[in-house]
Amino acid sequence: MFNNLRNGPTQLDLTTVTGVSTPHIVVPQSRREFLTHSGAGFGALALAGLLNERSVTAAESVHSMHSKATHFPATAKRVIFLFMEGGPSHLDLFDRKPLLNQLAGKPIPESFGKVVTAFGETRSPLLASQRKWSRYGESGLEISDWMPHTAQCADDLAIVRSCWANGINHSAGVCQMNSCSILSGRPSLGSWVSYGLGTESQNLPAFVVMQDNATSVVNGPRNWSAGFMPAVYQGIRFSEGTQPIPYLHEPAGVDPSQQVEKLRFINQLNRHYAEQHPEQSELEARIAGYELAFRMQSAAPEVIDLSRETDATLASYGIGDSETESFGRLCLLSRRMAESGVRFIQLYSGSGSKWDSHADIERNHTNLCRSVDRPIAGLLQDLKQRGMLDETLVVWGGEFGRTPMSERGNGRDHNPSGFTMWMAGGGVKGGQVIGETDELGLFAVKDKVHVHDLHASILHLLGLSNMDLTYIHKGRPERPTVNEGEFVKQLTSA
Amino acid sequence: MVRFQPCSVSFCGLLACACVLLLAVPHKVLMAQELSPEHAKFFENEVRPLLAENCFQCHADEKQKGDLRLDSLTTMLTGGESGAAIVPGKPDESLLIQAVRYESFEMPPEKKLTDAQIQILTEWIRMGAPWPGSDPSAPMVRKTASGSIDRFTDEDRAWWALQPVTRPTIPVIQDSPWARNDVDRFVLSRMLVEELHPAPAADPNSLVRRLYFDVTGLPPTPEQVAAFVNDKSPDACEQLVDRLLASPEYGEHAARQWLDLVRYADSDGYRADGYRDNAWRYRDYVIDAFNSDKPYDRFVQEQLAADELFPHEADTQAALGYMRHWVYEWNLRDAPGQWKTILDDVTDTTADVFLGLGLQCAKCHNHKFDPLLQKDYFRLQAYFAPMMPTDAVLADDAAISRHRDELTKWEEETRMIRDEIAAIEAPYRAKLKDAAINRFPVEIQTSVRKVLNEQTAYEQQMSYLVMRQVDAEYGSLESKLTPQQKDRVLQLKRQLETFKDLRPASLPVALAVSDVGSQAPPTTLPKRADELILPGIPSILDDQPAKIEPLEGLSQTTGRRAALAKWLTDSKNPLATRVIVNRIWQSVFGRGLAINVSDFGRLGEPPTHPELLDYLTDRFVTEGWSIKSLRRLILTSATYRQSTQHPDFASFQTIDPSNRWYWRADNRHLQAEQIRDAMLVVSGKLKSERGGPGVLSDIPKRSIYTRVMRNSPDELLNSFDLPLFFNSNSSRNTTTTPVQALLLINSDLVLGHARALAQSISLTESNPELQVAAAWERVYGRTATSEELQSSIEFVHGQANRQLNLQKRRSESFSTIETSKLPYRDGQAVRFTNTGPNLELKVNHDASFNDANFTIEAFFQLRSVDEGSSVRTIAAKWKGDRAKPGWGFGVTGQGSRRKPQTLVLQIVGKTASGEVKEDALFSDHRISLNTPYYASASVRLATKDQPGQVAFHLKDISNDDEPLLTQEIETHIVSGFANESPFTIGGLSGVASRTFDGLIDDVRLVNRPLATFELLYSTEKTIAETTGFWRFETEPGLMANSAADRLPIQARGEAIIQLEPSQAALVDFCHALLNSNEFLYVQ
Repeated sequence: MFNNLRNGPTQLDLTTVTGVSTPHIVVPQSRREFLTHSGAGFGALALAGLLNERSVTAAESVHSMHSKATHFPATAKRVIFLFMEGGPSHLDLFDRKPLLNQLAGKPIPESFGKVVTAFGETRSPLLASQRKWSRYGESGLEISDWMPHTAQCADDLAIVRSCWANGINHSAGVCQMNSCSILSGRPSLGSWVSYGLGTESQNLPAFVVMQDNATSVVNGPRNWSAGFMPAVYQGIRFSEGTQPIPYLHEPAGVDPSQQVEKLRFINQLNRHYAEQHPEQSELEARIAGYELAFRMQSAAPEVIDLSRETDATLASYGIGDSETESFGRLCLLSRRMAESGVRFIQLYSGSGSKWDSHADIERNHTNLCRSVDRPIAGLLQDLKQRGMLDETLVVWGGEFGRTPMSERGNGRDHNPSGFTMWMAGGGVKGGQVIGETDELGLFAVKDKVHVHDLHASILHLLGLSNMDLTYIHKGRPERPTVNEGEFVKQLTSA
Repeated sequence: MVRFQPCSVSFCGLLACACVLLLAVPHKVLMAQELSPEHAKFFENEVRPLLAENCFQCHADEKQKGDLRLDSLTTMLTGGESGAAIVPGKPDESLLIQAVRYESFEMPPEKKLTDAQIQILTEWIRMGAPWPGSDPSAPMVRKTASGSIDRFTDEDRAWWALQPVTRPTIPVIQDSPWARNDVDRFVLSRMLVEELHPAPAADPNSLVRRLYFDVTGLPPTPEQVAAFVNDKSPDACEQLVDRLLASPEYGEHAARQWLDLVRYADSDGYRADGYRDNAWRYRDYVIDAFNSDKPYDRFVQEQLAADELFPHEADTQAALGYMRHWVYEWNLRDAPGQWKTILDDVTDTTADVFLGLGLQCAKCHNHKFDPLLQKDYFRLQAYFAPMMPTDAVLADDAAISRHRDELTKWEEETRMIRDEIAAIEAPYRAKLKDAAINRFPVEIQTSVRKVLNEQTAYEQQMSYLVMRQVDAEYGSLESKLTPQQKDRVLQLKRQLETFKDLRPASLPVALAVSDVGSQAPPTTLPKRADELILPGIPSILDDQPAKIEPLEGLSQTTGRRAALAKWLTDSKNPLATRVIVNRIWQSVFGRGLAINVSDFGRLGEPPTHPELLDYLTDRFVTEGWSIKSLRRLILTSATYRQSTQHPDFASFQTIDPSNRWYWRADNRHLQAEQIRDAMLVVSGKLKSERGGPGVLSDIPKRSIYTRVMRNSPDELLNSFDLPLFFNSNSSRNTTTTPVQALLLINSDLVLGHARALAQSISLTESNPELQVAAAWERVYGRTATSEELQSSIEFVHGQANRQLNLQKRRSESFSTIETSKLPYRDGQAVRFTNTGPNLELKVNHDASFNDANFTIEAFFQLRSVDEGSSVRTIAAKWKGDRAKPGWGFGVTGQGSRRKPQTLVLQIVGKTASGEVKEDALFSDHRISLNTPYYASASVRLATKDQPGQVAFHLKDISNDDEPLLTQEIETHIVSGFANESPFTIGGLSGVASRTFDGLIDDVRLVNRPLATFELLYSTEKTIAETTGFWRFETEPGLMANSAADRLPIQARGEAIIQLEPSQAALVDFCHALLNSNEFLYVQ
């Protein structure tokens, strides 16, 4: 939004050329006007903010991140995306295949079609699912015994069993689940949402990412990068501890009192320079950038401070139990961030492809499912109880599912051609199943939902049209779903 | 072979005749007079509503899926990507009918029409497709000379960027001494039209800083500033421009823009993000090309076709790296998919970089706004279809033959040894090769297993991709050998080493391409495999296939890329020439004369100064494509020299707020690399070494030489909008984010630069006031005013007093070390070096250090291994004496007798028989340099009855596709390795040669052998038996043990930073300057 201020007129012209009318591509003009008019007084406001006299107007304009109008009425205000990184097995969780157990040990019949798998064991025998399945809730959704707590929320879940994607490997898969393309370089969904809707928070970023362990997520920070859009829309990673954002506090050896004086002096230098350069509105923006950074210094630790949560709440997320502690904390943090106005929250379970179970899926998934099941149920119930689930869309899934064929005897390979994701809240009608895979769960066959459709649907629920939300890049309008994708209407209607 | 169809608006009448417009009226279309009222009624009542309801949603004015519109007769006849939708009178031949019958396409996709509805459409076409109101006598479809459908309108042909470049008349302006050269005359004449006039010239201080940053990317030193400010000669500016353009720093800066455009990187870009050994040779080629002012036409030709056009110029072959910057996924089994991605990447980039065309929009359909056809995308791609990645040897024939002779000699001498190694390895190689190939789809396996001369060109390309994975598979060869075989191979390799003086050094190689042969694999449109696409330029310029001429003396290449290169560098090419000139303008002013520098299409804005663009382009081409000369002209213009200030600022700002008409200079934010480089320059850290392999970003070389790892960009550069390098990038974003502010003010990195700056100033100035003045000059390139100086000195005094009081309150003075970040890990890591200031980290001996089972774990990244046999120590409880009890965990040296560059655990302890002995346990996994790892050794000691076991775990944390490597080795030590020595990290107490070189993070010592699932890599759960967990984080303290409130690290050495209050205050001042906008902007 700040880039190429000089492109302002170009972008304005574009709206007429393309017939696209969105509020999103004309902002630079108004921002420039705002900054030009606000003049030198603005810098003074910025320091005031730094010294804890809040100045909301300044921050809003700096980010171009103030709440923006939706294209149509939204049912969801925000998203919590629970990303099971590495690819959970739909066949053992949400998509029961009796035929799989009947044919276990045999090669997959030719009639099911051919796939390219990551590790090439396409002709390995079919692997039975060892799960026990039950029906839950009034809706009677069938869920395996690996997710007993989440199953209690069955009536809130819309289980999409017919997802499919293009990436065979983790890198491409995770990239697509975040940015719609298996090739890197495009903005992530969270960035599009920040761009399209702005933030509701004065002190926190619009797009926050957290992960359950310190190992990097596949592809690293480019999963939440703004791609070709300005960095202001990128996700910011939060971690627990006293420094939830990198460099939030002064480095070791620097006393806070010295730091405050240093900041005061920097501001003095910057204000002086800005006064000499009224033509450069960015200078004011940069001063205010410091202001926001330092509002974060108090806001970020506050939002991650769980000390005021009740024991009952903590327990409901599985906090206090070493198996569920880590993801439980992330889930509870995401509720707190949702309350503070963060727009898009992404939680990685098993960051570093831990859900990837090429061998010994029993042990792998038993542990991982246990670590997320109660926290997820806790989150859904807590949101519901606080009346927030209606406007908070919770999305669960990985970059792909797993094959019915075995790998290395007791594991499953990657399967992007058919897998399950579910959504809850945010206007989604729960207790339903959308789509089907074939009888062995290899291919999505009925009401197929591509990643493009998933993203289009998430945007739709947030009140954004995936075709009308455009960003001009290299002179061309780019859209979040690469010009593809449609809202899965059944999500809200059933 | 070069064809242009010049046309301009006024020219189109003639063109219409020239192109032979054919009136293509389908023979059965009902003419107006034949349309009966019944026809009209049938159409309006039955047909139109049916179309509207079922088709218009996707095929009318709002959307044109498949480039097809069904809302008029004309568009139905013209058709879309798949051709005409209807053949009037012939329903069975009409695509529309086939589609609604679900015979070819299935339309509408949601629900098939009813039989009755299909019947209506069939009947309508049979009657000749009557469409009331349409004028069937109007030319509905134009055809070109060749008989193909002409999809272009007069408006398309009048598109500005396609018009021949003209030499416009230079405007004559009365009474204006302001104009220094022709650039100014064009700019001024436009300015006057807008009732604006230019700003005064910038003051010399501003101008010199601007020139240095714009030409070299670096700030001037105070001496360079003074030299210019004091130079009163009338052509001081011209002279400075000449000097700067002649300096080697010029090419290092100019290359940056080009490397952005061609998405240059040093890594593969997928999760494995493998480092590309020789990619840097392309980077150095580009720098040299700018420095030597290689004519641009030649520069383009070399990058696209050096192998075809200049096959005997060895060094030039590095230019072909242009076609090797695509992302590559090392374990993708979908070889055809990967190849398609590669070809698409080269096509997209070429269209962006050289033509300024958004051709990728046409990959799936005809371009929505520009006259570019889907076919054009594949016509361009066809030039690259025969491409075959290869390594080009950068040596002349004589050197190659000399090398071959020497190598042959070495081969003869060592044949017996090498044959024996090969014989041992052969069966394993065969197995690994098969395993790798078998992971691909069956048809690819078949292709790859054919002998070379039975393979088609395409199959050879597939084989290339497969064989790369086979090579990767060979990496695990050593671990497959039996222990006896390992020992034998090791022995043989040692013998081989004795012949190393005979072996010639390898010749330099560069990433390049050649053609797979004289025949190109076919290029087709997606889903239309029957239609062969031949190489060609955009159809609007010439819809015929390009003439590809055979190249003399080269039988194994198609000449396609040479043909493309020649066309791109034809002096009459209207796109390629304007595009580069516009880019050079952009590199000076921060924006192009045509704003969308990589898209001259109709979505972009036409140039603000079209005549100036044409003038510069014409001049550029006729004067030999010299980029330096063009830059010199622009840099010495009065337009460039203006001040950012203007006496009429307020009123002009309302007329032209974005300074479209150049009535003043823009105040510009430095780019990411300029910021980092400037910090290195002012702190005095910058090494002036040029060229060579990319270095990690903590090496103070210019940022252009920093390794571009696509998945782990440098934090500082990244925060200042470094592009991602996955696609061509034509202009940098400049944003302001809180992340930047936090990084500048709170990171150790920037604080470190401030410390270095303060230290460097202190070396020459002892007077605090002079120090302040000197720092100011260094950072801003100007002298501080007395007020500025005054307030700065006040600040420094204040900080010094505060610091003094703080130190008084503390019992001892505060010390710290500089930390770095381990890639793919959170938080901070400790940096060890065996060349710079030393650092010793030790934990005093304590009873809790076991004389029994234990596990040692750490994350680390190694910069070098010892050339001899010394181990780079990660952690140890030992002094390194092989006769004295203890243990050490590290990485062996290059000259290790047992195993070079591998993880080793050395334990000196008692065996069951009571004898004290060293057990050196080596893992099989080679440690790559500059790669982040997790490594551990779980030690379960032997007992009287059975041997013990050490389990090594190793994980390259930059590569998720690689599993956690495990290896179990027997040990016979039962105990008795306890000692009183301190536990050390990154070295052995008192043994300099065993110091670590690189980063170490998160060291954990647990008093029991941990199972895989308990390792720090697998889980971060607390383990009860932990002696120490040293994480090097600010919380609970860099040197604290986070497992317990005891056993902290004691740090010693030159790397410890301890500052006097006055020094600390000067550091704060320097830090503030580096954070300030005057430093980050150039005016």
